[in-house]
Amino acid sequence: MKKKILALLMLTILVISLAGCSGESSDSGKPAESLPAAVEDMTFDEMVAAAAGTTVTFYGWGGDEQLNQWLDDEFAPLMMEKYDITMDRVPMDIDQILSQLSGEVQAGQNDGTIDMIWINGENFKSAKENNMLYGPFVDKLPNYNQYIDTGSEDVTLDFAYLIEGYEAPYGKAQIVMIADTAATADLPVSTAELREFVQRYPGKVTYPALPDFTGSAFVRNIIYEICGYEQFLDMEADKEAMREAIRPALEYLRELNPYLWNQGKTFPDSSTALDHMFADGEVVLNMTYDAYGTAVKIANGTYTETTQTFQFDKGTIGNTNFMAIAVNSPNKAGAMVAINEMMSPEVQADRYDTIKILPVVDYDKLSDEQKEAFDQVDLGMGTIPQDELLEKRLPEMSAELVPIIEEIWEEEVVGK
Amino acid sequence: MREKLVPYGLLLPQIIVTVIFLAGLITGITQSLGVIPALGLTEPTLKYYREVLSDTGILISIGYSLRIAVISSFMAAVIGVFLCALMVTGKKTGGGYMRAVQLPIIVPHVVVALFAVNLLSQNGIMARVGYWLGRLQDQQEFPLIIYDSFGWGVILAYLWKEIPFIIYFIISLMANINEKLGEAATNLGAGRWTVFFKVTLPLCKNNILSGSLIIFVFALGAYELPAILGATTPRALPVMAYIQYIHPDMQNRPFAMALNGIIILISLASAFIFFALMEKSSKRLKRRKGE
Repeated sequence: MKKKILALLMLTILVISLAGCSGESSDSGKPAESLPAAVEDMTFDEMVAAAAGTTVTFYGWGGDEQLNQWLDDEFAPLMMEKYDITMDRVPMDIDQILSQLSGEVQAGQNDGTIDMIWINGENFKSAKENNMLYGPFVDKLPNYNQYIDTGSEDVTLDFAYLIEGYEAPYGKAQIVMIADTAATADLPVSTAELREFVQRYPGKVTYPALPDFTGSAFVRNIIYEICGYEQFLDMEADKEAMREAIRPALEYLRELNPYLWNQGKTFPDSSTALDHMFADGEVVLNMTYDAYGTAVKIANGTYTETTQTFQFDKGTIGNTNFMAIAVNSPNKAGAMVAINEMMSPEVQADRYDTIKILPVVDYDKLSDEQKEAFDQVDLGMGTIPQDELLEKRLPEMSAELVPIIEEIWEEEVVGK
Repeated sequence: MREKLVPYGLLLPQIIVTVIFLAGLITGITQSLGVIPALGLTEPTLKYYREVLSDTGILISIGYSLRIAVISSFMAAVIGVFLCALMVTGKKTGGGYMRAVQLPIIVPHVVVALFAVNLLSQNGIMARVGYWLGRLQDQQEFPLIIYDSFGWGVILAYLWKEIPFIIYFIISLMANINEKLGEAATNLGAGRWTVFFKVTLPLCKNNILSGSLIIFVFALGAYELPAILGATTPRALPVMAYIQYIHPDMQNRPFAMALNGIIILISLASAFIFFALMEKSSKRLKRRKGE
């Protein structure tokens, strides 16, 4: 009896795993066929009509409270009023979103759970290459054609990877450094000055441990400063070649180590941790991709009024973040209407005003009235004027180089 | 027939959970062998294990994880048994003492990690008090207890959690033995510590070993304490696995699963050694009884 039950149990397991396998093999090769043909042939007005009364799920990182509030309190009511679309924001880290999506695609689920995804960089590349995204779709969106500079590299390339219409711009980000001028009057605007800075404040400077997004960008910025950025834009993904190319920058980073927090043996595990340490006074230098977020933090009292953001003279890395549509999205029409609305000058100006996110619309394509909405925005304290910030904007390197640099950093810099 | 089936019916919930668990385990192992059809990987291969095991960084991580697991389980067992003995021989097994033992057991590991950061970091309460008392010129002078590359911070946090676990795990057995057999031994003229070492401890040995094995396997595979309290390098195995898992290139997924596979292998190996030891000691016990 005991043996029979055991055999039954093992059979069940076998059947379950086999069922899983057969589902995968029959559907995985042809995700493109899961697109309902109807959406392809619709005009934008037909999509608006088809999407009325539906729900659009928007999956994305949920760690920014201000952005969450804006999406829930400003954008969702607008979509409801204007198009009768319910926006359902699902806060989730991008790796989990892609895991869930790949699970659904693997199981051959044609009607998935994810419509819109907030995405960029390496994750976009990986998702697109594994056939997890729907597209190309951006040329169907009127606001994209009318207000976005469709030829600019900020919109055609994502970490030097061709977008080919699979994602639409959502917001712009750019690395800036943050310091409190009351604690440190001198702001380092070059690597030489940064070295003096860490020597003057031993134990009080650090950066988030890679592969943290911000920490990784900071290290790339140091590499750009020391080795120049042009060579990385079309570099082959080869670890040893990369190690050779960034040798001087690695040496520089190792030179900083003895003066860093915990002598560079340990780095804070995330940019959030570094934010807290900075607000707490444990370190005197912070860094962020959210170039204007500091104004909001000064306004709400997290940072002191003497806090100032600044850049390297040679510039800092900027990138655009995007919205994409899942290949098995059950509501592609609704997702496209929502993405289109997100790119309207009114919504972009509102984001710029309330949560200080750099707009993606092309200023020159706006009417005078629309321009005024952007001109009126008060950026708040501690910020760099937009034209100056964008003038010193460096492109991201190719997405596949990023993890290579992260590995090399771990091997050659930490604790060395 | 019906009577025979009833026990299995009652076991059904457990069987369902086990099946789900095994399905996850099998998926993980399949993926570690490089079979993920959705990503176009179909050929089973040991390549990922080979690559993982030839990477010096990962070998250091394995050493680091083993060190943390061995030291925490060993120290938790020794200190736990010692404290338990004090409680039992001093007849301090009442409600208040047991509450104090139970409290750390119900606190989640993440919370313990945050406690440790608040208390022991260079910006924590201890450093602030030291600075305020004038003992430290600067908070930076506070010794690096957490985030150290040996893993003391992680081990300390595990000890805080697991010493009470060991006590809780063995105290009723130990109290029972100490009371009955211990009293008998005392009547025959044995001293308090002789009773403990010659009678109580040998009879509790298997339970103590079980408790330490649970701690060892847990500390080997748990993510949160080394992630929050560990150094940037070396990274513990579970932290490594997680980083590989969130790697944007999905083709890296088998590496994450191979790291998990290594954790499973070490856990299984230690469980086998443990059961072999148990078997041996219970055989010896039986043999003595037979004499």
